[in-house]
Amino acid sequence: MGLLRKIRDTGRVAEPAPPRPEAEQLPAAREFGGSVQVRCVDAGSCNGCEIEIAAAFNPVYDAERYGARLVASPRHADVALVTGPVTRNMAEPLRRTVAAMPEPRLVVAVGDCAINCGEFSGGYGVEGAVSDVVPVDLQVPGCPPEPGEIVAALRRVTGR
Amino acid sequence: MSAIPAALATATGLGGAGALAGVVLPYRLRVPVVGALTAGVGVSGCGAGVAALGGGSWAATFPGVLPLAGTYLAVDALAGLFMAVAGAVVAAVAVYGIGYATGHGAHGLGSRTAQTALPLFALTLVLVPVAASVSTFLVLWELMALASLLLVLAEHAERASVRLAGVWYAVMTHLGLVLLLAGFALFAADAGGESFAALRAGASAVSPTVRGLVFVLTALAFTSKAGAVPLHAWLPRAHPEAPSPVSALMSAAMVNLGIYGLVRTGLDLLGGGPAWWWLGLMAMGGVSAVYGILQAAMTSDLKRLLAYSTSENMGLVLIGVGASGLFAAYGDRLLAALALAAGLLHVVNHAAFKALLFCAAGSVLRATGVRDLDRLGGLRARMPATAGLFAFAALGAVALPPGNGFISEWLLLQSLIHGLQVPGVAVAVVLPLSVALIALSAGIAAAAFVKALGVGFFARPRSEEAAGAKEAPALMLVGMALLGAACAALALVPGLLGDGLDRAVAAVGLPGGGAVSGGALKVRIADLSASLAPLWVVAALTAALMLAIGLPRLYGRRRRRTNARLWDCGGGAPTPRMAYTATSFAEPLQRVFDDVLAPEQDVDVTPVRESAYLVERVRFQRRVPDRIEHRLYEPLLRTIAGTGQAARRLAGGSVHLYLGYGFFGLVVLLLILAVGW
Repeated sequence: MGLLRKIRDTGRVAEPAPPRPEAEQLPAAREFGGSVQVRCVDAGSCNGCEIEIAAAFNPVYDAERYGARLVASPRHADVALVTGPVTRNMAEPLRRTVAAMPEPRLVVAVGDCAINCGEFSGGYGVEGAVSDVVPVDLQVPGCPPEPGEIVAALRRVTGR
Repeated sequence: MSAIPAALATATGLGGAGALAGVVLPYRLRVPVVGALTAGVGVSGCGAGVAALGGGSWAATFPGVLPLAGTYLAVDALAGLFMAVAGAVVAAVAVYGIGYATGHGAHGLGSRTAQTALPLFALTLVLVPVAASVSTFLVLWELMALASLLLVLAEHAERASVRLAGVWYAVMTHLGLVLLLAGFALFAADAGGESFAALRAGASAVSPTVRGLVFVLTALAFTSKAGAVPLHAWLPRAHPEAPSPVSALMSAAMVNLGIYGLVRTGLDLLGGGPAWWWLGLMAMGGVSAVYGILQAAMTSDLKRLLAYSTSENMGLVLIGVGASGLFAAYGDRLLAALALAAGLLHVVNHAAFKALLFCAAGSVLRATGVRDLDRLGGLRARMPATAGLFAFAALGAVALPPGNGFISEWLLLQSLIHGLQVPGVAVAVVLPLSVALIALSAGIAAAAFVKALGVGFFARPRSEEAAGAKEAPALMLVGMALLGAACAALALVPGLLGDGLDRAVAAVGLPGGGAVSGGALKVRIADLSASLAPLWVVAALTAALMLAIGLPRLYGRRRRRTNARLWDCGGGAPTPRMAYTATSFAEPLQRVFDDVLAPEQDVDVTPVRESAYLVERVRFQRRVPDRIEHRLYEPLLRTIAGTGQAARRLAGGSVHLYLGYGFFGLVVLLLILAVGW
């Protein structure tokens, strides 16, 4: 009974769905048909963006209701969600991860570091931004971006 | 029938010529000539056996050949079955052996001693079932044991373990001989004659106690030769250490003769007996089946795995023979015939697939010098023919439908399940238990052979030796292909054996109920409502396989394909060290059977000299010892050694003491004579 009571007491925690983002669905994402499997790659992040991504998929922001879902292998994924500046050790694994994804595939750079190396620009262990290593289709700026912004970006991919 | 004596005479002549050639010829000529002559022994022995299976029989007496006793020979269908099996195995393995010994050089199997013993061993394998008197049988039996012992010791210069295995084999086989001698002497004395005909005629007059004693003594000896637990200790030592063709001969032909002796003595000469004989035999068979295959699943030595699997299969045959005796004791002779036919069919099937398995393991050993599965792998690409033949034989060994082992195990299960109609508490308890044990052993056998094939032949090589393996030479492949053809024939058309099997069963006085008949297509059980058509099973499986492979191909052709790198989590490529080894494959099973296997585990932590908290090295060791050997044999050996040590004091080296013994002995003897007479 504990679970039922908890459900009754807590009620609905998910925020009401915000309106659809104005920007159009990415043309390359049409083939996904509104269902998008997402693989996260931490290319050298400070883990701030990871916390926000985790929040985007929690019950409050609930990105899954728009058709995005996290998966455990790039072989299952349509979208790579890349965070952090690409460090030297992660450059090759990132390339291989993207290469391992079936086509069509999209790469989303999440956070300022992923877009332009941010705070870590010029660091001795940094290879470059994500776009220096793999082609990037969509960017989510912010340090870190808010969960709502990540959800909005994913909605541009799912189109829902 | 004049074909049988002619074939036997040919076999004997060729065997003698082979032994002579082994002694006389130089190395280059020795191996091919001896191999060809041995193959001839096999072919003519098999011919004699087939003639006997076809309904022929023959008996003869040569009073002058053995002093005092004379030589009695007789061939009936039961003997014919075992001769045919032994002859066929000998013929194929001899061809294989030429290739094997040629590459090995003038030592090991190519040595003068081994090449002399090989044709003799082959000849005795064929001739033991022909013996028709106790003395003839025991002479041939002992010749077989000695010839095989010489062959087991062939590679003694290369590994110390060979010598130890030889000692175990010599001692156990001779203890068996002593038991046989005692049992048969007792039997012959009470039955009034030592020829089998006299024993058969006099058996009913022997008192039940003596009959029981004779059965127990001979059954212990014969089950020890068959490698049944707990008398199996020599088998997993001697079979792996022998050169591979010899392992194949021993595992596929010699152990069968233990079964032959048991059937001949228990069911034929003694004419059956009370239920407790057969219940004991079934218990032994059940324990052998499960314990043998469990040890096979644990070991990572390829040939040791096969040797333990021999124990398992002989256990299954013992269950069949025991069930047959049990049904006969309760008066259901039709079911008894069925159970015996199942057991004998399994002997044939086991001989085919086990000879092939040992030959394939021998090819691997010859190509890599490695028997440890943990260090093999990747052989499918390097030795495709050997790998394919091994896989085919393993299919027979796991008793799954397209394999030949499935047919005899199915028949055995049918006889046990339908045996429940026989009344009696013992039957009601033992039969379901036996069915469960057979099912369990079949399941573990699948695990054991998936391990042998998957870890040994697939994936990537885990050692340099395995990486440099080359396919076996043509003659070895020809020998193996012959055995593979035999396996396929037994799997597809076991009905060919039907009439011969019926005659073999009828030879011990049971009605051959046509257990395997229906032309060359069907296994049908007379009177009972079960039937199996191996050809249809194979056809259905092939069709299903074609569909499973073909449909995705057909469907997938419309899609674009790209070749991509193996997904390795973005890191480096996986190394062979990351692959599944035999030990890790067996580990979950070992956990399940922890209480039975009692593995020994040893963790050794060495700290750095400066601090007890910093670890320099951790050594982890795990061993799964043969528990029966550990608990039964080692205390026994210790006791014997202790007694010997204690007895040394009696012979202290003093002449006075020895004179005293003599005097004392004389006085006691005189006293006994004075009082006794």
